[in-house]
Amino acid sequence: MPQADVVDQPSTEGGVDVLTIEGVAVRFGGVAALSDANLTVKAGTVTGLIGPNGAGKTTLFNVISGLQTPDRGSVHLYDTDITKMKPHRRARLGLARTFQRLELFGTLSAGENVQVGLESSVKWWQWRHMKRAFPWVKSGVPVVDGVPVGEPTGPGSIAVVTSDRLLDGVGLGGLGAEQASAMPTGLARMVELARALAMAPKVLLLDEPGSGLDDAESQALGELLCTLAQGGMGVLLVEHDMELVMRICDYIYVLDFGDIISSGTPDEIRKDPVVQAAYLGTVEVDPEGGVVGHFGDEVAVERTIDPTTEALPTEGEAVEG
Amino acid sequence: MTNFLQFTIFGVMLGAGYAIAATGLVVTYTTSGVFNFAQGAVGMIAAFGYWELVSAHNQPTWAALIIVLIVGASISGAFVERILMRRLHGASAERPVMVTLGLMVILTGVATVVWSPTVQRTVNPQINGQFRLVGINIQDQYVLIIGVAIAVAIGLRLLFYSTRTGYALRAVVDDPELLGMSGVSPNRMSQYGWILGFFMAALSGVLLAPTQTTGISIESFTLLVVSGYAAAIVGRLRNIPVTFAAAIAIGLAENYILNYVEPHLSSDLARDVDTALPMLFLFAALVTLPSVRLRAVGRLTSLRAPRVAGGAESLIGGVVFLVIAVILGVVYSNTEVKGTTLLTLGGMIMCLGIVGLSLVLVTGYSGQVSLCQFSFMGIGAFIMGKVAGGGSVLGLLLATAICAAVGALIALPTIRLSDLYLALATFAFADAVAQGFFNDGRIYGSGGLSINRISVAGVSFNGDTAEFLLVTVFFVLSAWLVLAIRRSLFGRRLVAVNDSPAAYATVGLNIGFTKVAVFAIGAAMAGLAGALYGTVQGVVGTTDFDIFPGIIFVLFVTIWGIRTVSGAFLAAVTYVVLNQVWPSSVGIFAGLGVILIGRAANGLLGIEFLHFRLPWVKRTTGLADQAAPPSFGGLALEGEASRAAG
Repeated sequence: MPQADVVDQPSTEGGVDVLTIEGVAVRFGGVAALSDANLTVKAGTVTGLIGPNGAGKTTLFNVISGLQTPDRGSVHLYDTDITKMKPHRRARLGLARTFQRLELFGTLSAGENVQVGLESSVKWWQWRHMKRAFPWVKSGVPVVDGVPVGEPTGPGSIAVVTSDRLLDGVGLGGLGAEQASAMPTGLARMVELARALAMAPKVLLLDEPGSGLDDAESQALGELLCTLAQGGMGVLLVEHDMELVMRICDYIYVLDFGDIISSGTPDEIRKDPVVQAAYLGTVEVDPEGGVVGHFGDEVAVERTIDPTTEALPTEGEAVEG
Repeated sequence: MTNFLQFTIFGVMLGAGYAIAATGLVVTYTTSGVFNFAQGAVGMIAAFGYWELVSAHNQPTWAALIIVLIVGASISGAFVERILMRRLHGASAERPVMVTLGLMVILTGVATVVWSPTVQRTVNPQINGQFRLVGINIQDQYVLIIGVAIAVAIGLRLLFYSTRTGYALRAVVDDPELLGMSGVSPNRMSQYGWILGFFMAALSGVLLAPTQTTGISIESFTLLVVSGYAAAIVGRLRNIPVTFAAAIAIGLAENYILNYVEPHLSSDLARDVDTALPMLFLFAALVTLPSVRLRAVGRLTSLRAPRVAGGAESLIGGVVFLVIAVILGVVYSNTEVKGTTLLTLGGMIMCLGIVGLSLVLVTGYSGQVSLCQFSFMGIGAFIMGKVAGGGSVLGLLLATAICAAVGALIALPTIRLSDLYLALATFAFADAVAQGFFNDGRIYGSGGLSINRISVAGVSFNGDTAEFLLVTVFFVLSAWLVLAIRRSLFGRRLVAVNDSPAAYATVGLNIGFTKVAVFAIGAAMAGLAGALYGTVQGVVGTTDFDIFPGIIFVLFVTIWGIRTVSGAFLAAVTYVVLNQVWPSSVGIFAGLGVILIGRAANGLLGIEFLHFRLPWVKRTTGLADQAAPPSFGGLALEGEASRAAG
């Protein structure tokens, strides 16, 4: 399918398959974290991946990004089989991700975090980069429209300017000098997002980016993700904020006990009795502990939270701090 | 055949002794996540304590065993966990390694003061006598050691799999918080782990001591358990049965090689093989280990990194430092302290300062612990002395290049593993090089290896003042280089790979390459420093680059601040001065210092109330200083990401 269609009109039909997961299974000892996961992300769409805590969402992300080797199954980026590839090679092919539990370079500033992503293809041992360590070497960066171009690193270079812009883009304008570990969770998540975007990925995996954000911020995040998808990126989103998922996703997969139990457009998912059963099932076990969640504005469905072990991360407050 | 059986029995006995110590290590590691480098030193103290009670004070065996194992080892294990280790939660990853090393040098330092190394001490077996079996004599003591080892293995198995405490002990390292929620104190479990670890270290020490027929010595007994480390690594620091089997196999292999291979070698070579064996086993164990899965740990470094001086600032600082050094060098050119001129001491400080700087790069920035920088120094000095008659620029260059290559070779087998394994590999390497290489009479010669002063293009640095200035220039250049690296793209990557390996890989960066590269650069700097050190002293001896001084120096850098250039320099000053004033107590100072520093990541120099601010240095504004963080908005990205790719 031609890519142009996608940019103008993101739809469930979407563009080419940028990410294809087939029959992925992961076992931890006797526990099957994923038993047979199949999933496709199309260029120019936001694809949602929802499911109860412990359903295997983060494990699937780890399999895709290479932090976990699957026991069975395959992962393809476009037509390239990346199942056995090292994480950094996958990233160079255009796969970027964020983490549910923050993985920032804590000692670096927010801007430097983004710069590490921007400069990841720069070979530091080349003389043209090494010589910048000498203070008397002029940067020699040509400036076009007030933006230095040509040199990827160093003061005033494209990396610094672009990282500022990326931080602006995720709502962190002016916070570039802030030490990453000193930032509140919500803002830190946005630094992770900016760092991922810095790699100009073809596929972006987001693990609960909305937790720690307030309503307005999560609204803005939704708009940003839609903009990115319109630019042709394939976004795979794990998120507990159902309102956000239902609003921005073109297609949704529901994962439960390591299996994809359902998939479809947000409307189809809302009405799917299998999904409702899976979600309502937990409530029957313990009606007292069940918590009401919402699929969009419509059906009130009990959230699938095991009240014995999990706090509820709705509104993103629970993960804050 | 009789011989073979004899060797086998002895090998199994030795292996059983290692097994007790190694399983102790594993128990401590699985319950607290800390690899106790002091395990060997605890065994050594127990052996000496036992000797003191039984041989010097004629106490009965059972009383000595109770005092050493129960009162001494177990209670100190509990105290060490409570006082030293517990407050390290959340400290940077290298800190527990440093504190256990500190404990090791304190214990060896104290032992050297209490038990003079010149006296020979043989320890009587706990059980005297022997019996004959299929034509060979077997000491009762051997049977005792093997029996105790089996009892320990069975006891641990029962403890871990059949008791509630055992389940909690196994759970504690996986998720201490979750364990805490189920009503078990994770701290208490770690404490049990340390008690057991200390107990088993002491047990192996007390049991193996009588088998040392030439008497027990502080250093060799402390390092005896390196073979045990190898066994623990084969068991991946968590599998007790595998650890146990590996320990027996290593004991057997050591004894077979000793009896079947070494008689065919020249005596020097045989000694080298003998001393290098534990290290070879350790390396083999490291190579055979499967890769560790990269994990997203979600731990955010909350460390405030020290400010990095800018390009112009570091240049000015370097020039000022040089001017001060020139003035001091000229003024004090004839002063002597205890027979050594101040200029020579100053030169040594500068050389060790370069070694400290290499540690700033390797450990401070990228978080990898290297305990063998002194070995690189020794190799550098050796090359300097042997190439082109000594004192040539070629020697300097070769020392740097060869050490870089050796460094890369050491780092390579461990990059697939966690950082702890690099520390272990460097520990083994430092030990093996010190024992098997520097100590070999053919390497440095009996009177030491003499190294000439550098002379280049007709300019000789023969005079003490000229030599001092030369090494000072090298130190200033190295300091400037380290700061330039930190400010560069590569420096950002070093810090990044330390902060979050998972994120580092997922932004497309190669963790292994970065780690090997920085380790090789650090090794090269240490090699250069060693070559210069040789020219300052004029002669280097077998003990200059021993494992213990190397570790003590790392501790001093940690104490002052392993992330700063000034920390490296002050550590060199402290080390050289203390070695002049109280040479026998340097280890105790270093160990106590690192324990007192505890979790303060930036050392003494990072302690806030010691800071003063130069009036012209601008204070950086933190997030807290702003009235309110800017709201989330301005999301027009306009394809910025795709442009950034250019």
